Amino acid sequence: MSKDAIIAENLTYRYGQLTAVDHINFAVAEGEILSFLGPNGAGKTTTVKMLTGQLRPMEGRATLLGLDVARNTEKIQAQIGVCFELTNLYEQMSAEENLVLFARLFGVRDFDAAALLQRVGLADREKDRVLSYSKGMKQRLMVARSLVNRPRILFLDEPTEGLDPVSAETIRHIILEERERGATVFLTTHDMVEADKLSDRVAFIDQGRIAALDTPHNLKQQYGKRALRAQIAGPDGTLESREIDLDEPGTAQSIGDLFEREKVVTIHSEEASLEDIFIQITGRGLVG
Amino acid sequence: MSEQGVPDRVSRLRMIRVLVQKDLTLFFRNRFFAFITVLGLVVWIAIFYALPKTVDEILELGIVAPDVPPSALAALEEEEEGLVVIKAGSEEALKAAMLEGDYNVGAVLPAGFMDQIAAGGKAPVKLYFTVDLPQDLHQAYVILFQEWAYLLTGEPLEVEATEEVLGVDMAGQQISLRHRMLPLLAVFLLMMETLGLASLLSGEVVTGTLHALLISPLRAVDLFAGKGVSGIGLAFIQATLLMALTGGFSQQPLLMLTALLLGALLVTGIGFLLSLTGRDMMAVMSWGLLAILVLILPALGVLLPGTVSSWVKVIPSYYLVDTVHRVMNFGAGWRDVWTNLVILLGFGLAFCGLGVVALERKLR
Repeated sequence: MSKDAIIAENLTYRYGQLTAVDHINFAVAEGEILSFLGPNGAGKTTTVKMLTGQLRPMEGRATLLGLDVARNTEKIQAQIGVCFELTNLYEQMSAEENLVLFARLFGVRDFDAAALLQRVGLADREKDRVLSYSKGMKQRLMVARSLVNRPRILFLDEPTEGLDPVSAETIRHIILEERERGATVFLTTHDMVEADKLSDRVAFIDQGRIAALDTPHNLKQQYGKRALRAQIAGPDGTLESREIDLDEPGTAQSIGDLFEREKVVTIHSEEASLEDIFIQITGRGLVG
Repeated sequence: MSEQGVPDRVSRLRMIRVLVQKDLTLFFRNRFFAFITVLGLVVWIAIFYALPKTVDEILELGIVAPDVPPSALAALEEEEEGLVVIKAGSEEALKAAMLEGDYNVGAVLPAGFMDQIAAGGKAPVKLYFTVDLPQDLHQAYVILFQEWAYLLTGEPLEVEATEEVLGVDMAGQQISLRHRMLPLLAVFLLMMETLGLASLLSGEVVTGTLHALLISPLRAVDLFAGKGVSGIGLAFIQATLLMALTGGFSQQPLLMLTALLLGALLVTGIGFLLSLTGRDMMAVMSWGLLAILVLILPALGVLLPGTVSSWVKVIPSYYLVDTVHRVMNFGAGWRDVWTNLVILLGFGLAFCGLGVVALERKLR
């Protein structure tokens, strides 16, 4: 059984009267991808800040790689990579200079900036100043920067937020590569499709608390329903939608009847999305 | 790096060097700062050389001497090359003329003065000096009158001089304008560099790059050390170049370098605080100009003697200006200005400390 790379115990943080993170508990195994799903202001970024030593928990404690973060911040920070929610690059410097700067701070020997930039699809723009980059390019560079020290734990805070499909896919590909390498990935997002595609487990965070934590499959099984949705053309050509529950007795008969009696235009299985489940559990949506 | 990638002391020094290199790169990639750095140096040196090099060699001495014959006064003029004796009608008229800036030294010889010195008695002379006349010149005028009395009587004669320093004087001709200007230029130059540092630092806070640096093995103390080295280095090199190119190291070069280094420390601390004032370069510049206006006040006191009073000593730059002025223009040594250096160091450390604490709080 693999060890836990991240352990959060009663982690709590308040901004004045507002409790941003409220006594949360979870663990992330080495080599696992855990996605923190929640709307803006749910406490995702604050959790990342506590886990990475940027904020000291007001209650509880965070343990990374077996070390208490509050007491071993430097040791921890030498072994993690963080990709921030907001772009914070040196825009007057080139992509290569940005990476080399951080590689030198991390004391990485024989650092190959070109190879890393190749991975994120910026090899042909490595000498250009970041100022001239698109949002997607900057975000890919942010991800590249978080990888300069070959981190054992990678924190990615909304890494694909507002990106074009190509950039988003590049980043997702890198996340999976890092998992293959053995890195643990802590991903915060409110993109449920991304979380579903990438994560070994997802945690729903709402108003500073973890509302649910499990694999996407288990959550769908637990909270979703199995059904078929068919579009049927009426006699006057109007389309009508019909749902057949797969867990009801007589499902096979219902499907047979459908095809026998109606003109079926389309039919597909219907599975609850993570967003549906989030709404079901918390009573609110992921956006906003 | 030591165990688990935690940096040791050598690595920390290397990291500070990396930060300094990065700051210098960013500083000179900002065209505005690069431009004003070069332009500032050129302009200040040009101003220095455009100002008159020589002092007015004519020393004007106002005198109230009701029964001293013109021939005796002519003899006084001959005692000192360039001395011009101007008669005043009364003691009050003499003082008024001095306050108007007509001359820096006035002498009142009482009625019966000639008889007194002829009898071999003490020669009572009341001397007035304007505020900015260097102290050592006071004694020179006493000696001038002793020699004059000797010339008139042929006997060594004790001059009983009563000295009084008069208020405002705007002339101050004993030091050339360009040399009076130099402390002002030095403070200006130091502050200009600091504005660049403050703006860079403010930009790093706003864009979040400082946060990115702090999620590396870099500690906050290393980060601020790097910023401090960049700020002090930029300011110190500029001020040193200015002094080197304007002959500022002709007297006590090591002392002058120390003063400039401490001045650079002071303005770097001020730069740290300025970086907290705004979200962009314009905001930092606006507050920075206000700071410059305050910091140059002591230098104006050197440039235009009598325009500021002793309260300027509460302004930290006074101790830099005063040191530069006294070392360069009066040949002051370590013993004369050590208190200035200590106070300057204290202000520098205090401002740097305040700036670091405030920045750390902001980052948190």
